[in-house]
Amino acid sequence: MILDAGPAPATVRPTSLAEAREAVAREGALLFRGGGTKLDWGSTPTRVDRVVDTTGLSGIREWNAADMTAVVRAGTSLARLQAELAAARQWLAVDPALGPGEAATLGGVFAADDGGPRRLRFGSIRNLVIGLVFVLSDGTVARCGGRVIKNVAGYDVAKLFCGSLGTLGLIAEITVRLHPLPESGVTVRIDAPAEGASALLPEILAAPLEPVALDWAEDALWIRFQGRAAGVEAQAAVVRDLAHNRGLAVEELQGTTEADRWSSLVAGLAGQPGETVVRGSTVPDQFGSAVEALRRAAEDAGVRATMHSHAGLGLHTARLSGGDALAHAAAVADWRRRLANLGGHAVVRRRLPGVEAAVSVFGPDPSGIDVMRRLKALFDPAGRCAPGRFVGGI
Amino acid sequence: MGALPGQSSRPTGVFDPHHPPDQALINACVHCGFCLPTCPTYRLWGQEMDSPRGRIYLMKLGLQGEIAIDATVTEHFDACLGCVACVTACPSGVQYGALIEATRTQLERIRKRRLGDRAFRGMLLRLFPYPRRLRVAAVAAWTYQQLRIGRLLRGTGLFRHLPDKVRALEELLPTVHFRDLRGRITTSEPAAGSAGMRVGMVTGCIQAVFFAGVNRATARVLAAEGCEVVIPRGQGCCGAISSHAGDEAGALAQARRMIATFEEAAVERVVINAAGCGAALKDYGHLLRDDPDWAERAASFSAKVSDITEFLDELPAHAPRHSIAARAVYADACHLAHAQGIRSQPRRQLRAIPGLTVADIADTEICCGSAGTYNLVRTEAAEELGRRKVAEILHAAPDVIVTANPGCALQIKRHLPPGRSPIPVLHPVELIDASIRGVDPFLTG
Amino acid sequence: MIDRRLQDDLVDILGPGGVWSHPADRRTYECDGLTTQRVMPGLVVLPRTTEEVVAVVRACAAAGVPIVPRGAGSGLSAGALPQAEGVLIGLARMRDICAVDPANRQMTVQAGVTTAEVNRAAAPFGLYYAPDPSSGIVCTLGGNVAENSGGAHCLKYGFTSNHVLALEVVLADGEVVRLGSAAPDLPGYDLRGAFVGSEGTMGIVTEVTVRLLRRPEAVRTLVADFESPSAAGAAVSGLVAAGIVPAAVEMIDNLAIQACEDAVGAGFSRSAGAVLIVELDGVPGDVEAEFAAAGAICVDAGSTHIRVAADAEERALIWAGRKAAFAAIGRLSPNYVVQDGVIPRGRLPEVLDSIGRRSREAGMRVANVFHAGDGNLHPLVLYDGSREGEQERALRLSIDIIELCVEYGGSISGEHGIGLEKACSMSRMFSQDDLEVMQRVRRAFDPAGRCNPGKIFPTPGLCGERSYRAGPLESADGDAQP
Repeated sequence: MILDAGPAPATVRPTSLAEAREAVAREGALLFRGGGTKLDWGSTPTRVDRVVDTTGLSGIREWNAADMTAVVRAGTSLARLQAELAAARQWLAVDPALGPGEAATLGGVFAADDGGPRRLRFGSIRNLVIGLVFVLSDGTVARCGGRVIKNVAGYDVAKLFCGSLGTLGLIAEITVRLHPLPESGVTVRIDAPAEGASALLPEILAAPLEPVALDWAEDALWIRFQGRAAGVEAQAAVVRDLAHNRGLAVEELQGTTEADRWSSLVAGLAGQPGETVVRGSTVPDQFGSAVEALRRAAEDAGVRATMHSHAGLGLHTARLSGGDALAHAAAVADWRRRLANLGGHAVVRRRLPGVEAAVSVFGPDPSGIDVMRRLKALFDPAGRCAPGRFVGGI
Repeated sequence: MGALPGQSSRPTGVFDPHHPPDQALINACVHCGFCLPTCPTYRLWGQEMDSPRGRIYLMKLGLQGEIAIDATVTEHFDACLGCVACVTACPSGVQYGALIEATRTQLERIRKRRLGDRAFRGMLLRLFPYPRRLRVAAVAAWTYQQLRIGRLLRGTGLFRHLPDKVRALEELLPTVHFRDLRGRITTSEPAAGSAGMRVGMVTGCIQAVFFAGVNRATARVLAAEGCEVVIPRGQGCCGAISSHAGDEAGALAQARRMIATFEEAAVERVVINAAGCGAALKDYGHLLRDDPDWAERAASFSAKVSDITEFLDELPAHAPRHSIAARAVYADACHLAHAQGIRSQPRRQLRAIPGLTVADIADTEICCGSAGTYNLVRTEAAEELGRRKVAEILHAAPDVIVTANPGCALQIKRHLPPGRSPIPVLHPVELIDASIRGVDPFLTG
Repeated sequence: MIDRRLQDDLVDILGPGGVWSHPADRRTYECDGLTTQRVMPGLVVLPRTTEEVVAVVRACAAAGVPIVPRGAGSGLSAGALPQAEGVLIGLARMRDICAVDPANRQMTVQAGVTTAEVNRAAAPFGLYYAPDPSSGIVCTLGGNVAENSGGAHCLKYGFTSNHVLALEVVLADGEVVRLGSAAPDLPGYDLRGAFVGSEGTMGIVTEVTVRLLRRPEAVRTLVADFESPSAAGAAVSGLVAAGIVPAAVEMIDNLAIQACEDAVGAGFSRSAGAVLIVELDGVPGDVEAEFAAAGAICVDAGSTHIRVAADAEERALIWAGRKAAFAAIGRLSPNYVVQDGVIPRGRLPEVLDSIGRRSREAGMRVANVFHAGDGNLHPLVLYDGSREGEQERALRLSIDIIELCVEYGGSISGEHGIGLEKACSMSRMFSQDDLEVMQRVRRAFDPAGRCNPGKIFPTPGLCGERSYRAGPLESADGDAQP
């Protein structure tokens, strides 16, 4: 990762919006860092002169519990935010990996468009953000959206910042929409290697169920329900029956056991040092093909691969280990090619040094790349925000 | 000096002062567009000026004197089927039917039509509203069919070269039955021991000549339900065709004649089995509102009018029905469903027949394209609509197709796929009649 | 009028049946659902395919002529108001259902397909399209994308943006781009997300891929009568406090009830100060429990009568009554203006009082229909256009009301869009810098500024001198809210 090579760039840690503006407007190539848990996402920036640490922009500025909205400074750790919201039995409906020390910040999660299993029910974080305050490299400080959930005034600029990996500007403040914490929950875990899971999945999707998560990991399907106790129990029973009909072993998880298992699964999405993590995407009913494609690609490249799939969404996180960078790169390229044949794509996240030189992080340029380049040029005319980190070398 | 009855006292733009489209009715339109998806011409062509909202807008512009009623504008009004499905869809209660009729009447006075156009319209207006003349034409049609001239024309390839409208006429022509050419329907005695409401029956023109069976069935059903059925002679035509074509004088004359005939017959109720006619008869009060001698008589007459299914649905008790095991697909007639709001009554009366399944079709509110004489004068649009309607009907897998208007029946028959035994198309009253008598409705010709 | 040569080019591309130059024809396109703004377009064209749209757009670009896209013309903010020297591109003939993928719950349709038609196509698979704007019978997907349309059920299910997976868009220079994709998380900036709600200023949608949902297992609907909108508002707060997330919560005040009943006769109580429609859907166990709780909460808040929909038919009738509300108001008054503002839910009683006060001062009646669950108000200002100056006063009152919404921490538009109607009010909600950044986004899509120009953003010519809201730095710790 770029920060490892050579002398460490200067870090500045603003504690107010005005300081943030100053930090950003001063010349030099910038890298924004919250909890530092996803700095290796995207391509390595071609240049970093200064790191802007956002953790000084922290805290809930305003919380309208009756309205279920909150204005939160972007450097607030997600863990801390959830803990505070829990006091009024509310939460921000995102459950991504929080990284070492649970350092992931709201701004970082948003800038990376990271998420977890419960994205199935609540949508990605982009659906939960209703307003933004941001700082552009030319010194402009502006807002978009507002403080109410329903709002179509002006463009939805926040959407552009979501997943932008800090290449458009610094996100200073995020207004989010909240949800009530569920009264009750249960997870049904079904022993199901890939083929079995593939066969069972359509049945589960067709059943009258509303899971908050539907994942496949560790050779098992994990189906999570949350809500009122009666509804949760009834749905769990339906899943149990479906599993029994196919002679599959079932385990039910509740309470802290359930929470811990999910934590560990979600933490795994971030991978470990020495691994290359690739996020593949297909339409959901290609799950089986995606798993098989990974198996083949890994085998051909001589690397080990495990997969954790948000099967209900078609998002598959692959962890490659063993072998060298070139082998990893070969596996990535192969899997990506096979996914493309299914109408999908793959993006590399953390990786072994050397992988990036051998395979593209983002894959082929998407349609509309010209618009994206123009957008970048208009938002960051001097090209100082994480240059080269984004799609198409942006 | 104030305005005469029927004369507008406000400026009327390009329209003349005699019953221009009413500004108040136009103002009721809030331009929401709810009428668009339900308009057949908008469905076909996807253009604003051939939608109710667009046509109302043109009327408005005309009243404001901001556009000329030229060929282009006239074309948009002419293209309207008058199905008034838009009235059903409109949340603001815009009376589009009154607006388009007023506009069409104005157009007849303002516009000079092409010679061929005028000739054809003139022919229709001089033929259809006159049962006697229609009967003569029917004899010609019967002869045409007996001599298989149609087959000859098609075989020699001459058929293709006939003008559009003539071809349409030929294709719509139903099989003429000799006995229908002669017969009058005799008035029947009420069932023994019944109270005997005195009910007059309107026999119609197309109905009487080409679907006399429906009239016979209607008379029998009324009698079976304990009514004294009166079919006054010389009633003539209801005037709907003239009205929709903008022939105001013709429509008024026909209305007066109808009213006078039934007044003389001294009936308590007037029953009609053709949807288009029913809508016109119920509108007499409005049609004759300017005429101090007739206004009240017309309103009183209209108040007595019921569609046969409507009438049956109101009766407290019914004669027993025998079973008909079949799947009936019911196709709403626009002038029954939209113009008169009669939807549930025919379905209820059909469902009261034991063994009969009654199914609906998708897009039931969209016109089949018959629309009075529309399918004779605007053949392309009508054909497309007819094809679509039949596709939806066939999709519902009918044993029998049921519709309450002769025009619709002709249109549907025309677009059914050719074959040995085409699916029968019957009027609801024909099924009810067969059910009461305990006979097979599909055996009769 | 449009240059003769361009007109001929367009006729070459679309055929004579696709190009409309006659003045009477063009005038029927001079406004959308908002009739107080009218501009006769230079020309109207009605393409049927993406290829035709591309050719049309290129021809217009070559001639330097602005373009304005239009769906069904049912919008309420003059978003489809034509340009006098421009070409109006109507998408209503693009009505094909391109593909249905029930296994993955997706459907791709041309932009002119109506919301109702999408649902019709999805129904045989037990699926439906969740966003339900009240004009769903006529409004097109392209228009929904342009406005990020909501509807009553967006409280639980979100807006158009949450249900659009991909867009095929023709940019103002004729380039065709695919924004988003059927498979999630396409790399790159979320252009799809920015495009939804851009009101036709970034390009022309030709195809939309939408997400479908499975019909909820259980649905329960009730109508609760209250003596006043405030009491009804208290019930809504109670629901939120209890952690209930209804599928929809709608409020109709007494005046609007009269119109609904005149039009549809759904059975709303004509003497109620306000009625609340509460609908819950989801898993049967949850729905039953929460529905009972919801009823109790309404009673606690002072509901005088609760009617529970007995079956799907009754529920449909209730919603038909609600959805006809705007157009039905036409029965109460010769003219009306419908507005669209948002306030934080909890401040409903105060805002209603304010609206009441202002309408009394202006001497005009205001009927109110709310998406009470998300604070989206639709005040309908009634007036008689034939009376001197009344239309102007009504428009001013309606703008006053939405600018008031901003003062309470809300928004000047919840779902109808800014269009032309509220462009001048944008300065109440945003600072100059805010709007300038948005203009950059627009320039990224349409550098020459030819696509639906003059919409959304205030200009001195249109609005005169306006003061803008303070930016985040100028106000205390980043915000200028009371």
